[in-house]
Amino acid sequence: MAGLELLSDQGYRVDGRKAAELRKLRARMGVFGQADGSAYIEQGNTKALAVVYGPHEIRGGRSKALHDKALVNCQYSMATFSTGERKRRPHGDRKSTEMTLHLKQTFEAAIMTQLYPRSQIDIYVQILQADGGNYCACVNAATLAVINAGIPMKDYVCACSTGFIEDSPLVDLSYIEESTGGPQVALALLPKSEQIALLEMNGRLHEDHMERVVDAATKGCRDVYAVLDRIVREHMEEVSPTTLVGE
Amino acid sequence: HFQCLKMLFSFNCKIDYISEGKLLPEDVTHFVIPDWKVVQDYLEILEFPELRGIVFMQTACQAVQHQKGRRQYKKLRNLLKDARHDCVMFFNEFQQYSYMPREQGEPLERWYTRCIYYATVWYYNHFAGLMPVVMVTEDMEAIQKYGNETDGVFVVSFKNYLENFWPDLESIHELYESLVQSRKERESESQEKNGKEYPEHLPLEILEAGIKSGRYIQGVLNVNKHRSQLEAFVRIQGLNNKNSELQSDLLVYGTKARNRAAHGDVVAVELLPRSEWTGRVSVLCEKESEEKASEETEVEPMPTGKVIGIIQRNWRDYVVSFPPKDDVQSQGKNVRKILVTPWDYRIPKIRIATQQAESLQDYRVVVRIDSWDSTSLYPNGHFVRVLGKAGDLETEIAAILVENSISISPFSEAQLREMPVNTPENPWKMDTEEQARRVDLRKTHLIFSIDPKDCEDVDDALSVRRLANGNLELGVHIADVSHFVKLNSHADLEARSRATTCYLADRRYYMLPAILSADLCSLLGETDRYAVSVLWELDKGKYEVLKVWFGRTIIRSAYKLQYEAAQALLDRYLKVAEDIPELKGTDVKERQRKLNELTWAVEKLTEIARQLRAKRDLGGALELETIEVRVQLDEKKNIDDLVPKQPLEVHETVAECMIMANHWVAKKITESFPHQALLRRHPSPQQEFFTALVECAKAKGFKIDTRSNKALADSLDKAEDVNDPLVNRVLRSMATQAMSNALYFSTGSYSQEEFYHYGLALEKYTHFTSPIRRYADIVVHRLLMSAISKDKKLEQEEPLLSNKDLEELCQHINNRNKAAHCAQKQSVELFQCMYFKDKDPFTNDQCTADGIIYSIRANGVLVYVARYGIKGAVYLKNKEGHVISAKTDGTCEWKPGSLRRLRDKVICTTAGGGSMTFTLFEHVTVRISVISSRSHPDSIKLDIISNQPHKTQQTEPLHGTAATSKADLVQDVIRSAEEAQLAQEHARSITIRDEDREYCQTQGNSLYSLLEEIRELALLDVKQFKTSQETCSVNLFGGFLLQHWFRSICWLS
Repeated sequence: MAGLELLSDQGYRVDGRKAAELRKLRARMGVFGQADGSAYIEQGNTKALAVVYGPHEIRGGRSKALHDKALVNCQYSMATFSTGERKRRPHGDRKSTEMTLHLKQTFEAAIMTQLYPRSQIDIYVQILQADGGNYCACVNAATLAVINAGIPMKDYVCACSTGFIEDSPLVDLSYIEESTGGPQVALALLPKSEQIALLEMNGRLHEDHMERVVDAATKGCRDVYAVLDRIVREHMEEVSPTTLVGE
Repeated sequence: HFQCLKMLFSFNCKIDYISEGKLLPEDVTHFVIPDWKVVQDYLEILEFPELRGIVFMQTACQAVQHQKGRRQYKKLRNLLKDARHDCVMFFNEFQQYSYMPREQGEPLERWYTRCIYYATVWYYNHFAGLMPVVMVTEDMEAIQKYGNETDGVFVVSFKNYLENFWPDLESIHELYESLVQSRKERESESQEKNGKEYPEHLPLEILEAGIKSGRYIQGVLNVNKHRSQLEAFVRIQGLNNKNSELQSDLLVYGTKARNRAAHGDVVAVELLPRSEWTGRVSVLCEKESEEKASEETEVEPMPTGKVIGIIQRNWRDYVVSFPPKDDVQSQGKNVRKILVTPWDYRIPKIRIATQQAESLQDYRVVVRIDSWDSTSLYPNGHFVRVLGKAGDLETEIAAILVENSISISPFSEAQLREMPVNTPENPWKMDTEEQARRVDLRKTHLIFSIDPKDCEDVDDALSVRRLANGNLELGVHIADVSHFVKLNSHADLEARSRATTCYLADRRYYMLPAILSADLCSLLGETDRYAVSVLWELDKGKYEVLKVWFGRTIIRSAYKLQYEAAQALLDRYLKVAEDIPELKGTDVKERQRKLNELTWAVEKLTEIARQLRAKRDLGGALELETIEVRVQLDEKKNIDDLVPKQPLEVHETVAECMIMANHWVAKKITESFPHQALLRRHPSPQQEFFTALVECAKAKGFKIDTRSNKALADSLDKAEDVNDPLVNRVLRSMATQAMSNALYFSTGSYSQEEFYHYGLALEKYTHFTSPIRRYADIVVHRLLMSAISKDKKLEQEEPLLSNKDLEELCQHINNRNKAAHCAQKQSVELFQCMYFKDKDPFTNDQCTADGIIYSIRANGVLVYVARYGIKGAVYLKNKEGHVISAKTDGTCEWKPGSLRRLRDKVICTTAGGGSMTFTLFEHVTVRISVISSRSHPDSIKLDIISNQPHKTQQTEPLHGTAATSKADLVQDVIRSAEEAQLAQEHARSITIRDEDREYCQTQGNSLYSLLEEIRELALLDVKQFKTSQETCSVNLFGGFLLQHWFRSICWLS
């Protein structure tokens, strides 16, 4: 078989998307009863579940308490059946630890933690099916879950990954595209203010291309925002049809 | 998330679509949609610009990508991109309404067809039925199934389509037929090979049985260096081939027929039917430099075969270089498998997996081949080590060594510990017991050695004296290496694996540790040394051998003469005495006495040698010619000059004595050990190899008779152009090329007749005289010692090798010798290139030289440049199709025109009407330049710049201008030995001035140059000097077996 053509001459990617096109994004909020907030998201074949508890009192050691803001506690995990190869990760590996840290960083920037001093907010995210863009799916799911929990945030946090293949940025990489080893940028954005909550890059990318890639990622995040916003509104209408949600 | 794709055409499409791509034309009568199979197999037809309005379905394109490989897919992509061609691609699988999910258990190919059909239907509906759509397929089932399903969508076979829609396009129909034909052939082939690149090899048992029954032929595969992709030859091994028509080599044409065999593999070949035989090509192609003499037998078909199995692989380490950077990138960023190009043209590209490709861009590296599957176009290999930056001297030398599988690791501790010690504090002394066992010649004989300047490893010395009865006693004393190197000791094993000292143009790699080669075994002046001596008693008149004695001796060489000094003594140029170190510090009278003594000995030796030589010529010894130059280096290893070797008569004297010793030892050991003696044979050449030589000589009006070595020698002597001595040299070198190499063998493995040495015309010959640098000689020494103790009824000191072991050893030594020879040749070529590399060919005088045309080809001539010993091709027609033409002053330029080749000339006619003829043996002026190559060794390029001979102040030295011809000389010998001597003496006195000049010019400075000089003897004009290592002679004189003398250095003898 000849080498995989990630971007055809006519501008199609292996799954038929154009370069700047997102995968189909579907989500539901409030999937769990007992949690304060929860959400389920599908980005193409990547599926993630997020639950939020809190704000509540600091659990386990008061020493961790912050006197002026809330502590954001995140946990990222992947289901054993989430990847092509079944793999048990009981205590999480380095990758999940890293991911956990990234999530924490992202949400510390977005949640108005100063409203809840000396308390804690827990965000648990699990990947049910991994098909590229795990971090982004987690961030998007967690955003919905936090909104579902009613915790005030500065803005939605929308995340989108971008690769750079054959001189053009590809938005929202799938697993096949990720595994070719090209450069990859993950961007978490506060879309209204266009503030970056997190920017992470793997692989080598020439400085000259950086701006184009970040622009493409920003565009991707805005598209994600449009979808998330619609979902939130739909959800609100569903739970309280009488309430007027609007701008 | 499948978006609705907007069509890539404007025709009747309701949605305005701003297309970056192409649009389908509106003026066609129909659109045609090829099935995946049609795209795969008949893409070439679809490429015709006459076929317009083609829609390639994504499914079909992906089928090509996955099943046909990158190249075919690239072709398809280019076709789609080509703006002149009216075709588009439709992503049917990305289109919501034309996408067809694959059903459970549905075969892939049927799914493809279904996808394409439904996409076609969608397409038709998309135009609202206004444009007929034709799907062409090769699948009859599909035609049946879908043919009538939808109105307006036609499903027809490709053939049908072409006939009905394009009946006038002859070329398309022809192409279609030929494609069908070739596909059928491939299919019938692939029934056996299941779509593999190459057919499988047959198992070994079948091969062996087939070879025994004569169905298959076994032989070594030789790839033609200049057409490595196409031509390879198999030299038939053994005599058991029952097929009498197979006299020559078998041609294996193309890589398919070669079936993964590499250069040097032992293969089994099946002969193809006569109708499929092809001929070899005689057109000069790029990179061509030197060819076998037999290549002229052009278009005439020759036996052709295909490889069906490989009996023994000859994979070794290969020097390769990586492709240039841009090529690597085009293979894709994540591709780690890289095709590397071997240094040797004859080796196919090798696929290796490495991540260092970029960092090793300009380096030469060693790789090894691991496997070559029948599914793979190229062999798989792996990276071994880096040699160094390409272009560095050390790297290039290392590359030469690796390519010839020569190991150059230093001697190990264990080997050195075995060696005797000789230091100033702890000098080496002769053992008293050993002394008692040996004959002491120190008091009785005046022994001296004649060697080049700065020679360290002196392995032979000579002596001559008058006996009491008036007869002469001639002695050849050879270093007793076998005394120091015991059988199966570490040093012995190492020497066996090296087999020979390897001489490169600027360095040498010794076979024995330096303590032996340069000290204890070397027969240095005024030092006591062990030796093995051969002493003959010769009668005083005709120097017939009366008695011979072999034995271990102790000698003390009185003089370590240089060739130049010995020649000076011979010429009575007595001032040379001052240069002989051994004569210094003696008073005048004593010195005079000693000088007289020495001069007498040298003269007597020369006299004997001349006599023997003349007699040997009578037996039919050949005098051959090879091209040799010596690289002259200065202290910093820069190249000063390339010097053709200048021979002296004294070289011949030494050579003569050595030939004699070798021959007598050969006789002795075969007598004692008829089934396990190591000898050297030179098989008679195959007659058809001489055709080029005979044809060539005919052009000049000479007749060459090749029926026997004697006839050949005589006719070569007669083929002499009085005005141009080079003609004879060129003819001789062609004769040399036609012959095969001489080989060592064990007497038990061959019949008595096969012992014959063709070149020397000797029935028995071996190598005995250079044990320091050849392992074969050590073996012969051991054999000789055993023969002596056998005569004396003593017990054997060391066990002898059995016939089988000895034969194996001989094969090994032959291989190593060949490798060392190749390495030497390549190193000289390397230095030739380096010499010319830093010179600008247009301004530097040294890059312009005189050449002689020695062969005519369809588009050029082969030229020999005597000054630098370069043979090469000159193109008379360049790539633009221009031919060479002469201006009035003789200089040449390129002009449009044509070439016409006749038998012995080639005529260039320019468009302007002028014409120019190049005839065989015409002298021309050539410009020498160097073509650099990234992955291959540099090569020399020759261009004719004038059709006049090149004039330099330093003309080619002409030897023996006034000498009597060889034939006369031989007759003289028959009449009277005295007369012959007089004639030669006469000839010599006339040429003394020439000799002197040469004497001053020659600057031998190492053992290497000694060897080179002896080799060079072959360059000498035949009329005057007869010898050389290539020269072999025999004497069957008056029913007597006469002395055969050998100085044996060469590869031929």
